[in-house]
Amino acid sequence: MITNKKYLVGVFNDEHTLIGAFEKALEKGVVIQEVYTPYPIHEILQGMKTKTRITYAAFFYGLFGVVALIGGMYYAAVIDWPLRFGGKPSNSFPSFIVVTIVANILIITLLTLFTFSVRSKIYPGKKAEIIDERATNDKFIIVLDQDNMGIEMPEVTKLFESNGASEVYQKEANSN
Amino acid sequence: MYKTAVRGKLVDGDKSLSQISTDILTPIDAKTPLWWYAAFAVSLLLFTWGAISIFITLTQGIGTWGVHNSVGWGWEIVNFVWWIGIGHAGTAFSIFLLILRQKWRTAINRAAEAMTVFAVLCAALFPLIHMGRSWLFFWVFPYPNTRGPLWVNFNSPLFWDFVAITAYLIISASFWYFGMVPDFATIRDTTRSKIKKAVYGFFAFGWTGSSKEWLRFEGLAFVLGGIAAVLVVSVHSIVSTDFAVSVVPGWHTTLFPPYFVVGAIFSGFAMVLTLVTLMKKLYKMDDFITENHVDAVCRILVFISLIMGTAYITEIFIAWYSGSEYEIYMFFKNRITGDYAFQFWAMFICNALAPQLFWSRKVRRNLLLVFIISIVINIGMWFERFNIVVTSLAKDYLPSSWAPYDPTIIEIGFFAGTMGLFGAGVLLFFRFLPQIAISEVKMVSKYNKQQSDHLKPGHHDYE
Repeated sequence: MITNKKYLVGVFNDEHTLIGAFEKALEKGVVIQEVYTPYPIHEILQGMKTKTRITYAAFFYGLFGVVALIGGMYYAAVIDWPLRFGGKPSNSFPSFIVVTIVANILIITLLTLFTFSVRSKIYPGKKAEIIDERATNDKFIIVLDQDNMGIEMPEVTKLFESNGASEVYQKEANSN
Repeated sequence: MYKTAVRGKLVDGDKSLSQISTDILTPIDAKTPLWWYAAFAVSLLLFTWGAISIFITLTQGIGTWGVHNSVGWGWEIVNFVWWIGIGHAGTAFSIFLLILRQKWRTAINRAAEAMTVFAVLCAALFPLIHMGRSWLFFWVFPYPNTRGPLWVNFNSPLFWDFVAITAYLIISASFWYFGMVPDFATIRDTTRSKIKKAVYGFFAFGWTGSSKEWLRFEGLAFVLGGIAAVLVVSVHSIVSTDFAVSVVPGWHTTLFPPYFVVGAIFSGFAMVLTLVTLMKKLYKMDDFITENHVDAVCRILVFISLIMGTAYITEIFIAWYSGSEYEIYMFFKNRITGDYAFQFWAMFICNALAPQLFWSRKVRRNLLLVFIISIVINIGMWFERFNIVVTSLAKDYLPSSWAPYDPTIIEIGFFAGTMGLFGAGVLLFFRFLPQIAISEVKMVSKYNKQQSDHLKPGHHDYE
């Protein structure tokens, strides 16, 4: 559902001041909706407390891949159409390993990319929901939802400003 | 962990973050230089020559090539292995240097990855056309079919090769692309042109730089990086088994897989060096690709060159030590001396001796010399593949089947065509895509400011 939401936006000029203000805000109990940065900052990723399970997903894709590939090759080479050459066994398992490894890497990559795309909602032609377009260039942005900020707006504004924010402003934007 | 003292600054010129974006995006915004059109025209000409050669091959058959019953693999396999080798640099750069925590890779990895994609594309063309009836190439896929169903032979290194190259092409292309997504968003948000905003906006996939996106992006890079490292080693090991599992003298050796993998990374790094020297010179990217970056690649090349030299000598030693007269003949009468001595010594001098010049700091700091040596290595690596493929086939066990091999003009045209394809691809990349990973460079640019609080002990430094 698309609704109009009111945001409070804190703009910072560098990573260092951003981290300072971010940590202070968390201490004071401010509820931070999202932080936008030009590059990944680990303090922020940890502080936001969101976790990603993409590596676990990848592991299970790998398990699935191994079973599917070895099963598929066994079916083709042993059950469906066993070929006799040089008296070798139809189930030449050790040499199946090569294809299993390489094709499994492909399976893991494609499925993990797909998972990333679905979970992060990153797909071709998606219209970006930009709060402040300087965030992909040189500014570090903290965004708060005005309906749920944890503490009062003047306090937050003061907190940001005293911790090195170059700008604090309000913004209305569509959100779904 | 070193900070910057060992390598010098990672980004010169004390740039602000927005300046980094502007500087890296200059080639996209600026007017296309004249040399670019000239180089692109030459690439297209070569490509046309290649397209005509491929057309003639497809319509008249493999008989238009110089290959025959004895030397069934000629320039096509030489060129295939050569291109695949070059294609190893991108992933090697991004993955191995990431694992080794080499921050200087950030200035170069994007170009290396781009090069990988084009090189693997060029490489894939050779086996495809060499199949003869290329339009039935899909028979290589193991799928239930109406021919039996007749399945492919899962024990054949040629099938492994097919799987490996397909996987490598798709994975390196997606690794390259997803790395560029945040940079496309930067272009979308900084450009004044409406067309660019729309086009790069489309390719930016709606990226905003939120913490949730970065978190998953890092997870993705971790997964892809980890498994692609295995791929780099396995792809060229598989290419080497195409040779090593045969009983042809000069091929039947257990040294081949590591020798091929190291050789691939060697030629790939040499090609990266060629490209970054061009980027430095033609696009004035000196602030990002500093002398120290070039220096670091050169040092790696000295090291790999020593491994190459050791591999060459090991091969010769084992041939002698095995006591097999066919092996001894192959190495001592057909490579070191004999009809193919020129190719052997060209390989040895270009790959094992010439890069030793990089021991000298003066050579490493001379861009022109670095450029020339990088080209010399590329030529040497081509001779290495020629040396392996042709010498062994031309004179195998039976003197009655000995036959010389010379490429025809069609084969030369085909090779020139892939050069054109590669050149055109790289030029388009230079012109329309961010040559350097903007967000990654921004991330490491703070390590310049050594006096700031960022680097005080105890502060998390992203390692």
